[in-house]
Amino acid sequence: MLGYVVRRVLLMVPTVLAISAIVFVIIQLPPGDYLESHIAELRSQGESVDLEKIEFLRSRYGLDKPVYEQYFFWVLGMFQGNFGFSFEYDLPVTEVVGDRMFLTIIISTVTILFTWIIAFPIGVYSATHQYSWGDYGLTLLGFIGLATPNFLLALVMLYLANVYFDTSIGGLMEPAYIDQPWSWGKVVSVLEHLWIPVIVIGTSGTAGMIRRLRANLLDELQKQYVITGRAKGLPRLKLLTKYPLRMSLNFFIADIGSILPSVISGAEITAVVLSLPTTGPMLLGALQSQDMYLAGSFLMFLASLTVVGVLVSDLCLAMLDPRIRLQGTVTR
Amino acid sequence: MHRNRAANVRMNRSLLTGLALLLAVPMTNTAASSEVPTLVARVASGDLPALAQRLPEQPAIANFDSPELQVGEYGGELRLLMAKAKDIRMMMVYGYARLVAYDPKFALQPDILERIEIDENRVFTMHLRRGHRWSDGYPFTSEAFRYYWDDVANNPDLSPHGPSKVLMVGGEAPQVEFPDAFTVRYSWSKPNPYFLPALAGARPLFIYRAGHYLQQFHRRYADPAKLQELVTEAGTRDWIGLHLRRDHQYKFDNPNLPTLQPWVNTTESPSERFIFERNPYYHRVDSKARQLPYIDRVVVNIVSSSLVPAKTGAGDSDLQARYLRLDNYTFLKAGEQRNDYSVRLWNKAIGAQIALFPNLNSSDPVWRKLARDVRFRRALSLAIHRREVNQVVYFGMALESNNTVLPSGPLYKPEYQKKWAEFDLEHANRLLDEIGLTKRDKRGVRLRPDGKPMEVTVHSAGESTEETDVLELIHDSWLKAGIKLYTRASQREVFRNRVFSGEAMMSVWSGLSNGVPTADMSPEELAPTAQDQLQWPQWGQFFQTGGHAGEAPDMPSAMRLAELNVLWRSAPSAHEREEIWHEMLAIHADQVLSIGVVCGVNQPVVVSNRLQNVPVQGWYNWDPGSYFGLYKPDMFWFNGSGRGG
Repeated sequence: MLGYVVRRVLLMVPTVLAISAIVFVIIQLPPGDYLESHIAELRSQGESVDLEKIEFLRSRYGLDKPVYEQYFFWVLGMFQGNFGFSFEYDLPVTEVVGDRMFLTIIISTVTILFTWIIAFPIGVYSATHQYSWGDYGLTLLGFIGLATPNFLLALVMLYLANVYFDTSIGGLMEPAYIDQPWSWGKVVSVLEHLWIPVIVIGTSGTAGMIRRLRANLLDELQKQYVITGRAKGLPRLKLLTKYPLRMSLNFFIADIGSILPSVISGAEITAVVLSLPTTGPMLLGALQSQDMYLAGSFLMFLASLTVVGVLVSDLCLAMLDPRIRLQGTVTR
Repeated sequence: MHRNRAANVRMNRSLLTGLALLLAVPMTNTAASSEVPTLVARVASGDLPALAQRLPEQPAIANFDSPELQVGEYGGELRLLMAKAKDIRMMMVYGYARLVAYDPKFALQPDILERIEIDENRVFTMHLRRGHRWSDGYPFTSEAFRYYWDDVANNPDLSPHGPSKVLMVGGEAPQVEFPDAFTVRYSWSKPNPYFLPALAGARPLFIYRAGHYLQQFHRRYADPAKLQELVTEAGTRDWIGLHLRRDHQYKFDNPNLPTLQPWVNTTESPSERFIFERNPYYHRVDSKARQLPYIDRVVVNIVSSSLVPAKTGAGDSDLQARYLRLDNYTFLKAGEQRNDYSVRLWNKAIGAQIALFPNLNSSDPVWRKLARDVRFRRALSLAIHRREVNQVVYFGMALESNNTVLPSGPLYKPEYQKKWAEFDLEHANRLLDEIGLTKRDKRGVRLRPDGKPMEVTVHSAGESTEETDVLELIHDSWLKAGIKLYTRASQREVFRNRVFSGEAMMSVWSGLSNGVPTADMSPEELAPTAQDQLQWPQWGQFFQTGGHAGEAPDMPSAMRLAELNVLWRSAPSAHEREEIWHEMLAIHADQVLSIGVVCGVNQPVVVSNRLQNVPVQGWYNWDPGSYFGLYKPDMFWFNGSGRGG
């Protein structure tokens, strides 16, 4: 087991390095650099720019150096905990991300819990009552949630909340609470705003979870041990929760790999529409303006979390489910 | 030595302040009566000096002559919406405290300066206001100008390219003198007509710096060990990076940087909400000698740009124009009653909302030859049904026009607007036949001399559906003249590069950035002067780089325009400058160097009904104008209870 873990951890190093190269190349792919998109943006607002000043900034930012040099500069920096510099904000990347991370984690955690609370009972119900009216009705509901474009739902809910509940449009709290210390009023204000993104992001996730749980559980319900259990006279609920439900939960653990990064990144597009102070809009903005170190470091962070998440979920699976053995990888 | 001078100045000032304090004691009662209410407590606690010591000896007096303007009341909080943290630079634009500034009639007036003496447009003697102070209370003297000139503009580390180009007349730097603490003189041997407009710009040329604050980051003044500590703390590469970052006078994102604007930023970036508090040392007063601004604080909330119209419609902004477009008009109008605001339509000063630019430097030789044939350009312009575009896209509210000066500007003549701009397919077809483009293919599209069909690809920056809508309409009418139009949307940088490389045959963008110029404003936009000019990028680059790159123009009209632009610079009298302007405008109208479609498309401006002194009709323009800055937001005030406060 230990050898397996060590091997996996060692394997992560080239993986992360490869990701870093890909991330960097993709960010550099669009023509131009940060300064050019900056100039273009100023120009579209009618502002003019001093070209000499731009040249000066280009050499200060090191954008006049060859791409591979910029890449090595960035990667070496990251190993020393220096994630580079955001041109857009003129600040180190870590300072830019700052508070946003906290709010993002709150929203994402609540959203994931919301998804589970909704999807879990529905999934179990659908599987145990396969092809019933309830199964069809709830599945339909889940699919509607999946099929409605998030941004559209977000706009409609914003409008309704504003007209009927007088909630301020967008954001995660009344403007007056921004940058203020936490207080009861602020918490209430956050709660008033939080339900919209949670429902919008959550509804799109429930359908997938309902279907997976339903499918896994159905597989198990057909199996002989269930019939045996039933023949032995076990109560229905106890039988369900003790054996097949536990068996069908593997995908839950396998999901950790993808849940970890999504907790940090939030749902980008929805967050932009709702103007949430999370990391999503920041990442999108950084990609648009080719603020490469901010975008790159953030993507790297997400990628590393995915890699770690996958490892954690693999280890958990192996521990929790004795049927999963390591032989497959060892005897090769 | 400079350091000593600075120290002397400081000593003198503190002496003076001491004297002023002594003198002011018997006056406190009268002074207190007009004190800003929100500052009374701070003055009483000794945190701030009394009003008389905070104002310059000769404060600037706001002009309330217009019948629309009323002397206001203090208080309130002005809420604005912006889309990005770096948009807070708009507070530098709206605040509009400049050394010299445009008044609402676009005439230059001294503002921060008490007065300015101009000799032949060559020697500019600027007189500062005695007793004027930075927002931190430190005296604003010629030392601020000296710091800029000696320690920033001419410091090889901070400005490797030397002072700003506006300050260089034909490569010659000005002679800058500081005869005393309140006088600064810039002189050149030749006229520099760009100097004052640059000082009054929306993004002004700052020829002063808060040296007393910035010194701690400057290698020349700071203690090396301490400076190194600051550099490490800030995480910059060296002191240059640190000085540059702390010196964001325009970006307005350093709360510690003293300023002269009416409101001072108090929030570190990045944030979702920026709070600007009143500058207790602001230099303007109203006609009752009460210190401006009336409004106590300005709150800038950052939301995504797509939400700005929705939030404005929900009453979340007291004064909003940025990120609102004409197509939001009906939605905004619907919220007027519920949220107690009014939607006003202001004039945009751009010469054309939409203009087509045939690329005279195209890399396709056949097309280049055609594009340089004036008959061809005229035919293209004649074959645009401008009325239809206006009715379909702009609710008939725009003005069908060439890309030229607007009717409300002083240089306007009807022929500039109308020449070659009426819809006349027959004439257009006749001109095209005359050029020899008589052969057509099966679709009825004319064939070029090299036998290829006459297909024109218009490149757009792909930012608005408005452009594509207009091009769709032009496509239909051009087809009747035997020309097939294709639209190719790309991304802004790609767009610029394609135009510059000559790959784009034609491009679409907006017209002249200033449609209401006076003869004293530079006509450089009309002549090849910059690489980003879409009809002649190569020629523009040629002049921009002084002939080092690009191509020299070889088309008589463009050469004449370039010549006139140079003549204007040294024209001795206003009359001659006006003559030059008219000749240039006439060339543009006659030669159809860009094809304007419509102009005069309005900008919706949402104004809270409690906010006073905002004009019903106004100009919404970047430069000159500084958007709201033209109307001095320090004079805006809230009627009745005001907002929150």
